[in-house]
Amino acid sequence: MAERRKFKKRFCKYCELKIDIIDYKDLGVLKYSLSERFKIMPRRLTGNCKRHQELVTIAIKRARQTALIPYIVDRKNVVENPFENVR
Amino acid sequence: MTCYETLFVVKPTLTEEEIAAQITKVKDVLAKEGAELVGTHDMGMRKLAYTVDKHARGYYTVLFYKAAGATIEELERNIKNNEDIIKFLTVKYSKNKEIAQFDKLVANANKKVAPEAKAAEVTEVPDVTEAPEA
Repeated sequence: MAERRKFKKRFCKYCELKIDIIDYKDLGVLKYSLSERFKIMPRRLTGNCKRHQELVTIAIKRARQTALIPYIVDRKNVVENPFENVR
Repeated sequence: MTCYETLFVVKPTLTEEEIAAQITKVKDVLAKEGAELVGTHDMGMRKLAYTVDKHARGYYTVLFYKAAGATIEELERNIKNNEDIIKFLTVKYSKNKEIAQFDKLVANANKKVAPEAKAAEVTEVPDVTEAPEA
């Protein structure tokens, strides 16, 4: 059982940082809720609270629309260094 | 008057002056519609996460402004007709918390401009002092 659980349940990172509203241009903040393939991570794995999860999904979708974050990453659409601009 | 924020991406194939001209073009539309431009955030040339119209890069600019709702229609119509702008997104800030965030973003955008101006002043000052010595 211990091996099957890949992710540890954690606290909400956004609550800890005391972020009221998540800006879609701030990729460093969005990074916490993205998988390595740029999927939105579920709340049960990241430990985000419900309010922040809802804010973060909207922000991520906006960032995708403006080509700040890729929609999909697969073998055909490899992003060499997706977080090049982040830091 | 509501707070809005518009992000748009200009084609990377244009020269610097042409890009600047495109940005002023959008600002002119806002000025014409009677919108109050509060701040601009120049994100510069960035790599796009996916190709847009076969472009791999783009020049990002964010405008913060206060305007009436009808302005957005006119602005987006202008941007849509402009072939040199490949992406745009308008976000409305209406709730109290969102407006607080808006003010913060505007302050940040203005802050980023200010240090450069200050740096320019600092570099200018030594030149003046050096000149009499020489």
